[in-house]
Amino acid sequence: MRRRLKSMTLGLLAGTLALSLAACGTAKNTDNEGGQTSGGSSKVTLELAISKSSQDSPFIADWLIEEFEQETGIKINLQLIPAEQSTTVLQTKLAVDEVPDLIQYNLASAVTDLNLERNFEILDNEPWVSRIQNPDVLSAFGHIYGFHVSQDTGMQGVVYNKDIFEELGLSIPKNYEEFLAVCEAIKAAGYTPVFMPYKDAWAANIWPAAAFADWAAKNDPTLFDDLNSNKKQWTDIPAFEEILEQQYQIYKLGYTNADVLADSYDMAVGKFLSKEVAMMFMGDWLIQNITSQDPSMNIGLFAIPYAEDPSIGASPLGGQLFIPKKSKHIEEAKKYLEFIASPEIAQRIVDAESYVSNLSDVTTPEQPEYKQEIIDNYITPEKVTLTMDAHMIVDQNEWYRNLQDQFTGMITPKEALANWNEKFQELMKDKGAEGF
Amino acid sequence: MHKSKSMYPYYLVLPALLVYFIFFAFPALIGFYYSFTDWRLDRTTIQFIGWANFERIFSDKILLLAIKNTLIFAVVTVIGKNVLGLLLALGLNMKLKTRNLLRAIYFTPSILSILVISIVFTPILRTEGMLNGLFEWLGFESLAQAWLTNPSIVIWTISAVAIWQGAGFQMTIYLAGLQGISKEYYEAAKIDGASGWRSFWNITLPLLLPALNINLMLTLIGGLKVFSEVYVLTGGGPGNASQVVGTIILRAFGEGNWGLGTAVNTLLFVCVAIIAVPLIIFMRRKEVAE
Repeated sequence: MRRRLKSMTLGLLAGTLALSLAACGTAKNTDNEGGQTSGGSSKVTLELAISKSSQDSPFIADWLIEEFEQETGIKINLQLIPAEQSTTVLQTKLAVDEVPDLIQYNLASAVTDLNLERNFEILDNEPWVSRIQNPDVLSAFGHIYGFHVSQDTGMQGVVYNKDIFEELGLSIPKNYEEFLAVCEAIKAAGYTPVFMPYKDAWAANIWPAAAFADWAAKNDPTLFDDLNSNKKQWTDIPAFEEILEQQYQIYKLGYTNADVLADSYDMAVGKFLSKEVAMMFMGDWLIQNITSQDPSMNIGLFAIPYAEDPSIGASPLGGQLFIPKKSKHIEEAKKYLEFIASPEIAQRIVDAESYVSNLSDVTTPEQPEYKQEIIDNYITPEKVTLTMDAHMIVDQNEWYRNLQDQFTGMITPKEALANWNEKFQELMKDKGAEGF
Repeated sequence: MHKSKSMYPYYLVLPALLVYFIFFAFPALIGFYYSFTDWRLDRTTIQFIGWANFERIFSDKILLLAIKNTLIFAVVTVIGKNVLGLLLALGLNMKLKTRNLLRAIYFTPSILSILVISIVFTPILRTEGMLNGLFEWLGFESLAQAWLTNPSIVIWTISAVAIWQGAGFQMTIYLAGLQGISKEYYEAAKIDGASGWRSFWNITLPLLLPALNINLMLTLIGGLKVFSEVYVLTGGGPGNASQVVGTIILRAFGEGNWGLGTAVNTLLFVCVAIIAVPLIIFMRRKEVAE
């Protein structure tokens, strides 16, 4: 009997302790909440959500956040999300109304992944908008949603080792036959002409995305609109099949690494640094990654040579700041954008990152050689086309997987397009797009 | 024999039951409901659509491939892990000097993170990797395969890696079971002139049934629920060749099609229940009480 009493008392004590701790915890939380919303005496803290892979973004630089706090008293708290989870975490936060005040994301992906139109503030009337030189890179559906001080979107094409080209006396190929000849010469010299890391399925879409877009711009300007409204099918365009076959032929002719489906993108920089490969279908961010590890390397970029005189592919501008509609501190978040857009601050950022400025009163600093070449050869003569990615409003992962399937040799380009067409219809219908 | 078996009143289990219900059972039930709706990322309202999601599952060839791959993986790993685990346990139950060291070595892969396993195995299994290199060196070039990129064999490769990783764990459970078998049975059998095989079949196996039961359950359910092994080794690729139900659910959620993802999940739950529950009941009946 006594033992029973003892154990019951102990149990009761433990229970009360646990309960009081829990109550304490919640009491503290509500205290904080009260402090924040009471405004006045306590400071506002903005929550900025960003993927860990973007932690070098100038928008979250320590000096920027400190100076902003000094000037306005508004603190910024960073929510760093692991890269592979960033999309799902942000989707969840937006769905449960636990929204951050600022999000750094990629505009084109935000349209589909984060439901841009429904969840984000339109910024058309902000004071800095009038000074933006290229509003298209920040806009979707006719309104400005994002903010960036750079108009330099990632350019996509063939990243190439200039030293190897010089060594072998090669010039930039202007069409497909010239490209194959260049590959042959490079292979004969003992290098691997093209590195294809297609275990990462998205890498297989660099050649097609740029080539499709360039072909469409020159032969059928309304093509993507037609595809998106079901007026045309992906299988209706013979040129697409040819383009896919071209990329596959490069592999079949032995001009690539042996294990295209087992090699991954993270091997790319190493392959260039060890002078194993001469070229890769990728964006100019890769050049930055290579030269930051070995500044003596001379790397350049030329447009995907699927046909005569191609334009360079431009990806939609990434790393923009967005403001969710349901943020509790929209005015303060907008203040942060204004602060960054101020001529002095913007100039500092543009200079530090060598951006091509998007603000009329912020000058573009001297660009690294490869960048200047791109500007001279493609941007200035207006030979830039937005790649296919910019026109897609559905998830493209299945398309990438079809490209992989094509490389296993299991399906033809025609079948790849047919499979994607089927999936595309499904995805568009799920989205409720008109015409499906 | 004066009181009931339980010393504690039943209501003491209520708090745990409550937690279980709120965090496990209730979400699962809500999940069943969502399987029958068109719940999506970009919709604010959802509508009941009946069996549409399930019809889609059975008419989509990739989803059917995923189901097939999952079944292949489950069957292969159940057989592989259990046979290998049992053999290892029998071997390491004998009087060997290095017995404990060997047990530790064989158990270690099962405590390694699957990411580590994938990083280790990827260079081994590449077409120009160590395994094919070994075959070439031994003169068996024809055995060299594209282990991770040939669509027809990739799921078998992944199963093999999973067996390598998991067999050690089944081994420890079998070892525990073996050590619970009294030596007297074996001695009696020997006196009666039973051969090794007979004593294994008639003494070891029947008395090992509880351990077999547990292992079968673990490997079967684990095999049907596979995700990490496939995701880190191939991501479901190349293309969609090694998709399994777990990775398909990820794909469905990634596309924003949450209703379909939940439906696939519900289907998986039902399949596991249909297979596992009768098996448990059947094995329970056959267990010999000590």
